[in-house]
Amino acid sequence: MAKRLTILAALAILVGPAVAHHGWGSYDAARPVTVAGPILTSKFENPHTTITVRASDKVWTVTLAPTSRMVSRGALAAMVAVGNNISAYGYPSTVEKDEMRAERITVNGKTYEMR
Amino acid sequence: MNDQAPAIFVALEASDFAAALRQSLFLYPLANVGHVVALVCFAGAVAVMDLRLVGAFAATAPAKVITRARRIVIAAFCGLAVTGFMLFSAEASHVVLNPVFLLKMALVATGLVNVAIYELGARHAVEALPAGAAMPRRARIAGFVSLGLWLVVAACGRSIAYF
Repeated sequence: MAKRLTILAALAILVGPAVAHHGWGSYDAARPVTVAGPILTSKFENPHTTITVRASDKVWTVTLAPTSRMVSRGALAAMVAVGNNISAYGYPSTVEKDEMRAERITVNGKTYEMR
Repeated sequence: MNDQAPAIFVALEASDFAAALRQSLFLYPLANVGHVVALVCFAGAVAVMDLRLVGAFAATAPAKVITRARRIVIAAFCGLAVTGFMLFSAEASHVVLNPVFLLKMALVATGLVNVAIYELGARHAVEALPAGAAMPRRARIAGFVSLGLWLVVAACGRSIAYF
């Protein structure tokens, strides 16, 4: 049993990096980035709202807050809808390529805190 | 959606049920909060049961303590399973490949095997014991194993989000 568990754990750790993404721990707070441009796709969903943004350098996946927090901060689905221009300040993922987690976003001159 | 996951988990995440969990403002947080509340009930009742098995509360006959705690343990476990399935469904194709989630499920299975071994091999003898009697060795082992396993399961659960 112990041996089997060890094998399973080892196997699991090998496939880990491909899927990891949650929590602030996997984002590099020492390298903040600002991603600005039009919103290409928008998923106003739990556990985190996710949008993609066409920035000047590339298309970023930007992870925002859970939907209930978005609503309580005033950042409604309509504000992160496809086509809107957004500026997101946050930290790049250390795991997922071209993904960042937003500390705050600015839409139509109004700033919303995501943490 | 992670297409590398087995098809059944991709389908689960794509289901209307999972979509409703993600899109509702309150369902996902409700499952999250419910999971923690069920965990607290589960941990408390399991601790009472396991501590009796390892020899604590010896002034009360084991059957009295264990029978009552077991009802809460079973109800809380069902609550954990239902809310856990909800949380899992919303992101099934990702979570099913998460190393800590896999470890957690393996440990839950081990915990249930420990329960089965106790229920089949020790329960009858333990629940016949009077107050103050020494607990049989296999009951003490089951209690220690259970306490340790469920604590690690809880730690794994919280850790899924960070891997």
